[in-house]
Amino acid sequence: MTNPYRLHLSDDQLLAGLANGSDTVLEELYRRYFPMVLHLILNNNGSEDDAKDVYQETLIVLYEKVTTDSLALHCQLKTYLYSVSRRLWLKQLSLRNRNGISLMDTEDVASVDDDLINHEARDRQFELMAESLDRLGEPCRTLLEDFYMRHLSMQDITEKFGYTNADNAKTQKYKCLMRLKRLFFAVFKEE
Amino acid sequence: MNDHQKFTDWTDKWLRNELTEAERLEFEALRRSDPVLAQQAREQQQLAQAMQQYGQRIDFRKRLDRVHASLDMDAIRQEAGQEAPVRPLHRNGGTVRQLWQTYRPILAVAATVALITTFGTLMLVRQYQSSHKQQEQYTMMRRDLQAIRRSQNAILQDLNARERALQMNPGQVAGSGFLLSPDGYLVTNTHIIRDADSVYIQSTKGDIYKAKVVYADQKYDLAILQVRDDSTFRSKTALPYGFEAGPSDLGERVFTLGFPREEIVYGEGYLSSKTGFRGDSTAYQVAISVNPGNSGGPLLDEKGNVIGIISGKQTATEGATFAIKTNYLFRAISAIPTDSLKNNSIRMSRKNGLAKLSRKDQIKKIQENVYLVKVFKHEK
Repeated sequence: MTNPYRLHLSDDQLLAGLANGSDTVLEELYRRYFPMVLHLILNNNGSEDDAKDVYQETLIVLYEKVTTDSLALHCQLKTYLYSVSRRLWLKQLSLRNRNGISLMDTEDVASVDDDLINHEARDRQFELMAESLDRLGEPCRTLLEDFYMRHLSMQDITEKFGYTNADNAKTQKYKCLMRLKRLFFAVFKEE
Repeated sequence: MNDHQKFTDWTDKWLRNELTEAERLEFEALRRSDPVLAQQAREQQQLAQAMQQYGQRIDFRKRLDRVHASLDMDAIRQEAGQEAPVRPLHRNGGTVRQLWQTYRPILAVAATVALITTFGTLMLVRQYQSSHKQQEQYTMMRRDLQAIRRSQNAILQDLNARERALQMNPGQVAGSGFLLSPDGYLVTNTHIIRDADSVYIQSTKGDIYKAKVVYADQKYDLAILQVRDDSTFRSKTALPYGFEAGPSDLGERVFTLGFPREEIVYGEGYLSSKTGFRGDSTAYQVAISVNPGNSGGPLLDEKGNVIGIISGKQTATEGATFAIKTNYLFRAISAIPTDSLKNNSIRMSRKNGLAKLSRKDQIKKIQENVYLVKVFKHEK
């Protein structure tokens, strides 16, 4: 069999590319390691869709790790992805009320506890933000998204939303932000 | 625009790095001086970060979906199939195999330990048994005369011609024997006369007679001898001792006479067990000191009845001598073919004339009927 990989990127190059948002690297990650995870899931009571979800979440874990924490892994990238996928799938299986699960491993497994704890914290924050934004409603949601996520200037926003001047837009943004803050921290602080 | 809104606006600009250097310093000074504002700024920062991460993840998911949609799933399925040999991983089908795979190293260790323990124990037991067997040896109390030939020659000086002839070719094995009946039948051990070319008996007075083996019983280790037609052998009217075939009790005081050397030797002890070596029911165990040469000697009770024939001892154990029960002497005698006896039955007496005598007088009477048995063999 000929080598199916068109690119010969090292683990570090892949991680750097991932942090920089390279689609080529994402494709490469799928090509290289998705079959491994698909194999794992299919052979442990999962479907192709399960595999897709698990691998996507695994890549999110990796992505958020490299964008917020560090680029360094304590094991091979392959082992890391396998270990995370494995843990995520075990969690899924336990949620589906399958007791006494033991997975059949085909790869080495590394400890990824710390990363998964961080990931769970981010998950909670993500869910909370999604819920808060849903309850915020339009046009506040889009306004805040444009400003805080898409980093549009107040001028752009004024024009986009048809406010008479920038001050009006700023006031509107301020009110929306205060509402979001109440919604978000009402739950967030309790935790 | 109120102050709160203005501060929020400032914070936004600070977060987006849109403040001028002067504004930034002023903002930071304000935060340091007012903890409420500092808290407000921190919360806004947190909120902004949360929103940013939310947006990032949404974006990233979209990209992942896009990449996933562009995948050649058939190729990936094929590769996943080849990823590793397909194993039956479903829980129901693979349980046994799964267990085996999980516990294989432990099983291997356990099996090794079991093997070592088993064979180690077997070896130890065997070693112990064999060493024990060596200690627990049954020694036949016959005497090898080769070693003491010279001293014999030196001691016995005034021999008549007949004795001298014998002394020139001394017996190779010696033991004891005693008369069964007044007309010249004796009993001794089979192990003494085994492979004999010729057998001689010697009385306490030094008279030597040639004897013939009438019967040798391997099972009970008893042999019957008869004095060859010899004019010098004077038949007695009766033997002083009787034969007691009934079982004797433990603790019975017993004594024996035998020839561990050229001179007759008296030994005294008690009956210590009704069975012999390793539970042999044909013999008694007697606490009495015997030496090579005592074999074939009579074992007598307090009253002077023969209750057994000394046959051997256990080497490692102190005072464990064995004597064949008289009862089996009777059995051996009754097994003798009548031809061998030439129609002369062995007339054994149960009458005992020693009961009231003192031990010294008993011995005086008995010792005339106890003989040194000398056996000559081919040099091998």
